[in-house]
Amino acid sequence: MKEDTTTQNKLTFEQLLEKEQKEKTKKDKVLDFLVCCLPILMGIIAILEYLYVPNFGNFKNLSPNTYITFIIILIAAYTAVFVVSLFLKKKNLYNKVISKAPITAAIFAAFITYDLLTLKSNKLLYPFFPWFNDILNAMKGDAAFLWECTLSTLKLLFYGYFFGAAIGFVTGIICGYSKKAKYWIDPIIKLLGPIPTATWIPLVMVIASTLYKGCVFIVALGVWFAVTTATMTGIESIEKSYFEAGQNLGCNTRQLVFRIAIPAAVPSIFQGLTQGMSSACVSLMVAEMIGVESGLGWYIVWAKAWANYGKMYASLIIICIIFTVVTQALAYIKRYVLRWQEGMVR
Amino acid sequence: MTNQENAKIELKLDHVYKSFAKKEGKEILNVIEDINETFHGGEFVAIVGQSGCGKSTLLRMIAGFIPVTEGSITVNGAKVIGTDPNRGMVFQKPTLFPWLTVQQNIEFTFKMRGILKENSEKVKDMLNLIGLYEFRNEFPSQLSGGMAQRVALARTIINQPDILLLDEPLSALDAFTRMNMQDEVLGLWQMRPQLAIMVTHEIEEAIYMGTKVLVMDKNPGKVQKLISIDMEYPRNRSSNKFVEYRNEILETLHFGVKEEA
Repeated sequence: MKEDTTTQNKLTFEQLLEKEQKEKTKKDKVLDFLVCCLPILMGIIAILEYLYVPNFGNFKNLSPNTYITFIIILIAAYTAVFVVSLFLKKKNLYNKVISKAPITAAIFAAFITYDLLTLKSNKLLYPFFPWFNDILNAMKGDAAFLWECTLSTLKLLFYGYFFGAAIGFVTGIICGYSKKAKYWIDPIIKLLGPIPTATWIPLVMVIASTLYKGCVFIVALGVWFAVTTATMTGIESIEKSYFEAGQNLGCNTRQLVFRIAIPAAVPSIFQGLTQGMSSACVSLMVAEMIGVESGLGWYIVWAKAWANYGKMYASLIIICIIFTVVTQALAYIKRYVLRWQEGMVR
Repeated sequence: MTNQENAKIELKLDHVYKSFAKKEGKEILNVIEDINETFHGGEFVAIVGQSGCGKSTLLRMIAGFIPVTEGSITVNGAKVIGTDPNRGMVFQKPTLFPWLTVQQNIEFTFKMRGILKENSEKVKDMLNLIGLYEFRNEFPSQLSGGMAQRVALARTIINQPDILLLDEPLSALDAFTRMNMQDEVLGLWQMRPQLAIMVTHEIEEAIYMGTKVLVMDKNPGKVQKLISIDMEYPRNRSSNKFVEYRNEILETLHFGVKEEA
């Protein structure tokens, strides 16, 4: 009855990869190392370029050291990871550094290019395209207010997403289960689903008791649509045999829902959650730009009104970071929860 | 449970009929007609017949997934209504819950009935018995077909059901795995010989495993012949007796074995 557990099973995945890969020649190894050094080199060039290429016309670059500090921090962070990876026995991290080195170098190159196009030559016109040091200074100077706006945006996103997802989850399960509930709710979804949620903003602004609540509603609405539809399809498309197996093993009705239907629908639910997140980000920004008087979206409009483009870009960058982090975090949770899926493992 | 106690298990099929409604009730399809048999603990009944003869339907009625149209099915005098872990079923596909590990799948039934703590040793023993202790933390997607079916078998058998229902459990496996699994299933059954009823479309498998072979006719499905297999385990697939049984079943199913001139 025993499965044969030969030495093969004891190899780790990394060792296996290494064994199967072609032996790297010395030349390959040196080349890899040089590629890893490329970002550091590019970073240094960026600093030298910034310091020694003369500024355009009478541009006044206030507190010029912010940019240098920023670049140095980036270089230091990269170098730290690189050095650590060299000393680790496992080659995972080093291999990752090798694969990410070219794109990191390209990022530094992009900094150089942007600096040359703005501060050094004004090819991209000031003030619409402030140089990077200017943006960083704007960020630094207005840090307290930006932080406040960031928190406000995060709060709105969290509330809207949470309520939308929670209610969507419940309605999705009910509709997936009960034909009667689906009969009444499905038309609502079919009719209103295709309309972008931002369309409702003007109406909600009038009806809602406070602007803030209105915006939570707008964000939640999009998430609700996505999660309800996905959960419903998820529950409906569960193989009947799972329920039969569950019944046969002694599940009662409640256990059939919570132990079989919901876990089986989780892949679909996550699809809805991901889709809901992108919908939430869109409606959040639109809502802040036309409705609420706080948050990063509002900050952009406000900074533009004052023609303070440095601040505008600062806010844009923070928005970009927030949405990336939030989306990545969701993807990470998804990968963990769905680790049982085929192709997800290893 | 001793063998004697097992022998007391009695499954009685009393004039069982089953019809399905077709085309939204405009047509009635008679699937099973007048099945009247009694089986006891310690027997391994293999049901063979062409596809469409209602053999799976019969098994699903015994399991309690679908009701009988007429007649009754009783276990020790109690009428079968709904499913019961005491009538454990193993399906053609393993239908393991993919979001649970091997161990969680096996202990699922205990967890549902809130008796996991007192049975945790049993789970461990079962994992060892089917030789998958080292795989206990793997997910079903990482198992081979044979391993998955073994887990499915373990998950049902761990309940020590009085009646073990097997719905073509080996038909999705390749020929070699299948022959190995036939011995494994027999081994598990012999350790605690309850009443096992297996549906199969392989005559050889039926003779190799069953103490009785129930041959069914189709349109509508009814019992054609109940053949007792009088051979010691493990059985030799190429012995004369085995071949004789094979011919007898083939003839019953009208696949006439022509006498050589």
